[in-house]
Amino acid sequence: MNGGLSKLWQKGGTKSVLASLISILIGMAVGGVIILVVGLNNPNLGLSGAWEGIRLVFGGLFSTGRTAAGQLTFGFNSTSVGNMLFRATPLILTGLSVAVAFKTGLFNIGAPGQYLMGTAATLMLALGIPTETVPAPLVWVIAFLGGMLAGALWGCIPGLVKAYLNINEVLACIMTNWIAANLVTWMFDGSNYRNLVENTKSGYIYKTSYNGVQTAKLGLDKLFPNSQVNGGIIVAIVIAVLVYILMNKTTLGYELKACGANRHAARYAGISDKRNIVLSMAIAGALSGAAASLYYLSGNTEFFWSTYQSLPATGFNGIPVALLAASNPIGVIFTGCFMSMLDIVGLQLTNLTAYNEYITDVIIAVIVYLSAFSLVIKLWLSGRGKKHKAAPAETAAPAPAPDAPDGAQDAKGGEAK
Amino acid sequence: MQTENIIEMLHITKEFPGIIANDDITLQLRRGEIHALLGENGAGKSTLMSVLFGLYQPEKGEIRKNGEVVKINNPNDATALGIGMVHQHFKLIDVFTVLDNIILGAETTRMGFLQKKEARAKVQALSEKYGLKVDLDAKVEDITVGMQQRVEILKMLYRDNEILIFDEPTAVLTPQEIDELMNTMKVFAEEGKSILFISHKLNEIMSVADRVTVLRKGKYIGTVNTADTDKQSLSNMMVGRPVQLEVVKEPAHPGETVLKVEHFSVPGKGGHKHNAVNDVSFEVRAGEIVCIAGIDGNGQTEFIHGLTGLEKSSGGHLTLCGNDITHASIRHRGRDMSHIPEDRHKHGLVLDFTLEQNMVLQTYLEPRFEHFGFIDNGAVRQYAEKLIAQYDVRSGQGPVTIARSMSGGNQQKAIIARELDRQKSLVVAVQPTRGLDVGAIEYIHGQLVAQRDAGKAVLLVSLELDEVMSLSDRILVMYEGEIVGELDPKTTTVQELGLYMAGAKRAKKEGEGA
Amino acid sequence: MTFLIQQTLIYAVPLMIVALAGVFAERSGIINLALEGIMIFGAFIGVLFVNLTQKAGVFAEAKAAGDWVALQGFMVLAMLVAAIMGAVFSLLLSFASVNLKADQTIGGTALNLLAPALVLFFIRIIANQNTLQMAEGDSASWFMIKKSFFGYGRNDEMGFFGRTFIDKTYLATYICILLFIVLSILLYKTRFGLRLRSCGENPQAADSLGINVYVMRYAGTTISGALAGMGGFVYALTTANCASTGDVAGFGFLALAVMIFGNWKPLNIACSALLFGLFKCIAASYASIDINGDGVFLLADLGISPHFYRMLPYLITLLVLAFTSKKSRAPKAEGIPYDKSTR
Repeated sequence: MNGGLSKLWQKGGTKSVLASLISILIGMAVGGVIILVVGLNNPNLGLSGAWEGIRLVFGGLFSTGRTAAGQLTFGFNSTSVGNMLFRATPLILTGLSVAVAFKTGLFNIGAPGQYLMGTAATLMLALGIPTETVPAPLVWVIAFLGGMLAGALWGCIPGLVKAYLNINEVLACIMTNWIAANLVTWMFDGSNYRNLVENTKSGYIYKTSYNGVQTAKLGLDKLFPNSQVNGGIIVAIVIAVLVYILMNKTTLGYELKACGANRHAARYAGISDKRNIVLSMAIAGALSGAAASLYYLSGNTEFFWSTYQSLPATGFNGIPVALLAASNPIGVIFTGCFMSMLDIVGLQLTNLTAYNEYITDVIIAVIVYLSAFSLVIKLWLSGRGKKHKAAPAETAAPAPAPDAPDGAQDAKGGEAK
Repeated sequence: MQTENIIEMLHITKEFPGIIANDDITLQLRRGEIHALLGENGAGKSTLMSVLFGLYQPEKGEIRKNGEVVKINNPNDATALGIGMVHQHFKLIDVFTVLDNIILGAETTRMGFLQKKEARAKVQALSEKYGLKVDLDAKVEDITVGMQQRVEILKMLYRDNEILIFDEPTAVLTPQEIDELMNTMKVFAEEGKSILFISHKLNEIMSVADRVTVLRKGKYIGTVNTADTDKQSLSNMMVGRPVQLEVVKEPAHPGETVLKVEHFSVPGKGGHKHNAVNDVSFEVRAGEIVCIAGIDGNGQTEFIHGLTGLEKSSGGHLTLCGNDITHASIRHRGRDMSHIPEDRHKHGLVLDFTLEQNMVLQTYLEPRFEHFGFIDNGAVRQYAEKLIAQYDVRSGQGPVTIARSMSGGNQQKAIIARELDRQKSLVVAVQPTRGLDVGAIEYIHGQLVAQRDAGKAVLLVSLELDEVMSLSDRILVMYEGEIVGELDPKTTTVQELGLYMAGAKRAKKEGEGA
Repeated sequence: MTFLIQQTLIYAVPLMIVALAGVFAERSGIINLALEGIMIFGAFIGVLFVNLTQKAGVFAEAKAAGDWVALQGFMVLAMLVAAIMGAVFSLLLSFASVNLKADQTIGGTALNLLAPALVLFFIRIIANQNTLQMAEGDSASWFMIKKSFFGYGRNDEMGFFGRTFIDKTYLATYICILLFIVLSILLYKTRFGLRLRSCGENPQAADSLGINVYVMRYAGTTISGALAGMGGFVYALTTANCASTGDVAGFGFLALAVMIFGNWKPLNIACSALLFGLFKCIAASYASIDINGDGVFLLADLGISPHFYRMLPYLITLLVLAFTSKKSRAPKAEGIPYDKSTR
């Protein structure tokens, strides 16, 4: 019994999960503290208002509104849970996008741009191909693949400049994000996909249901009535499993990971590091494109196209999703759901209290911040786990072995300067 | 009152998690002597010196200067006590000028602004007095390794240090430069400065040191006068058993030409106009060990990179087993060549991969491990276990050990296992024994000789003169990117080799000299 | 032409100062990807300070009396507050990177996410909308330098120099330029600068010479945070009418690009900031740029989509990086946490 537990403890995965849980708890606690401080300083809210806010931060998913007397009520809320799964769909995919790049030693902060390009391609295909002549399910598939392709091509750009010109991929990604934001606005500006039928909706593109191309519900609407959930979540989970297989069971995954862990050693072994960098960014881009496709093909979402001044948060939120999951594709499914739960929490806060949804962004940012030194948290955890066991000699012995400093520097081996 | 000992380190114990680097070590440095600190790689020499220099705090023991207990918490304290150190890996800022490097940390300022004039005068005076020639306005990255070492020495002198520590100072020098350094050290000692000289090279210690303190595996073995001892007994003290100082091997029986290098050139890096490797031609035949000797930084690394495909060449031809591989991909070259790389952390291993994943780094695409794009993890495990047993690679958890957590010697053994098991016609080994202890070195030398005897062509690159002299069947000397001489280890001397390495002597090339 | 120069300066100067912020962090060895976030935070703090001070009526009299010296002092005070809070905010980055040896890229990204989230959260609570503005008036009426200050009448001509560099400019612009020069000298001519730069190149060497790498890295990042925070406020003041929206549209990243393009050297950075400022200016006001003053708005008349001009700065950045990256030389030790035990 005890042996089993300590074995579980020895596994790297267990520590990763624990480190993530700690990050989540601290992040939510920080959110709670901010709510408390704001509440106490704001006469409209006061302690009771703050207490409501805190309860919603932790239990917003199960909030069912207020009673007539103004008391918050909690319980199973099929709408919220269904919507959580619906919103998790793109987050899982952008999370996978960031995770795949991480495994190859790249930081894909370009997910928002890839997401936007995926959105544009998907919507143009879904709305542009006449469903009178082409069967709607086929149009759906074409639009989905088109979105992936557009994302992949857009992801290639930072990949190419990183591989061949050694430009920091973070900067390249940021620039491609803003270029995409302007490009997409430009493309829709002159198009006839703008929703001019409903006058109240200036700046929006038609929903894909306008053309009869929307994701099948697959019975999930029966399971979670009154929610937007559809078959997209299943597609996302299947993709996550496929990515897991790709990364862990194939030679391509082995090559990608080798490039990520040590670009020089990969080259030495005859692996084309440049090709793998581009490939990794293309896969990452395709996943972000798929995120956009599934979100906008749902049939009940509409795209605000005049967004050249801001980038889609779904793209950025792929970063915490991947970080929390320690870039494990299966873990991404769960962390994606967690992040969309925070979305729901934000909505409930805005609807039910004087607080607003940005507090959940604060929580997300804190979680990312903590993820930056998750290694420290993990070390701290293992320090507690096996206090009396001696660490392997080489890892611990610093300077006496001439190896140690080299090894420490190689921690950034993927980053060729 | 002056004590005989200027520095005393008494009963120093320094632990790191899981390892005792220094276990009750005592070292007494007399005023005006050259005191050698002898030990294998990993014996605890550097740790002990780091303690003296304030980089580490010992758990037990005390340090005395002139008989008084002192506490050295950081390098500033050490400097204040007059202790200076030339580190094994130079502590220089590449993009700064020589002068900036010398004054850094001991700057003269007025209202915070640097005043370099006085500093320049002082450094110039020191440089002239001791014959330490440096170019004060050159950037460190543009000067030779020898000059970089002179900069390090000037740093100590600029700070008026009276206790000078030299940590493995000769590894990067030619035999002639080594002689120069030895003389400089003797001059310092005559002036009353006290010198600690860390080394594992017995010749140098015997020639320059007054006394030797020997460490082994973190423990104090003893202190002896060099006049009362000899190389063999020092080496026994260092290793703890009688050591075979020479490699045992039969005469070579070279066969067919395996590698043919013709007029081969590799461009220099980072805007340097000169080729790093220029017009190199030679052959390596089956059944012989050919060694490229030379001082670090004379193009050996670039040549190997050009040969193995890590860098592009700019001219000439490479023929391996009859095939032209001048422009072949790295993987293509690997069909007939295995490569034990110079930097095992940078190129040799993916440190965050497991041992078994590292064992198939070169072979994962072979049909025995790959089916339809999927890796056969079972076959990988079996193969890794076979290699681990065969080459005695020790690790915490066998095949699933993360490579980073293994000791340097076992990491190198893993690489050697992977490369030699591929059974290629040409074995390229670059500094295969760097930083390893005597046991591991003996093992690796044995393996390379066995490869030779099995009819492989072995191309060795080494900076260690002892290794060059004892292991190779032919020696090629590389200087400033060119092969300047071919020597027979049986007939040549270290002195002659040194003249070639320093560029003072070179064989005439065809068409030249007329 | 005057308009073009003024507008270019308005964009170039914050770019320049924020790029210098990047230099101080990176030269000490810390990659400050959080410049964008710190700018957002600094802009918010500065605007909030202006807003609250106005509400408290501190400078109301000065404003009514047209005491422009006092109002300039008010602005400088706001810059100072933004700088201080920017420095405080950047401590999050230094703490993570120096003490916890965190991944600096992720740490910086966290700050980039945190700043807009916090700022929008508070703006929504304070202003009940997504923008925080001045409590009264606008930045031009309160803080802009006008020729009337110097006794010129409405119709008096100040000459090209006066018209371009004095009338309708902000003192903040010139303070930034002055700071830029002073800090560049600090970086190259003082003991502090020498030591700071050594930590970004070879911290092990610096440490062996008794320089406290941790302190130097904290110092570099804190100066960086102060400059970025101030730059953020100046950006909001001069380009956004002293309003904070939790966004600076990638300006912090443009500054990073300027820094790389300028090869981490102040003089080159000043030049590349001017270049980028020009593109940013074209993007923002291509329709009102009249180059030779003949009433022809060339860029608008070309008939190219406005979206193209908006895209231009980012596109140019990418291209410029592509062409210069081979030559660029980052501080060697940047991004690598310094661990005393590996020295």
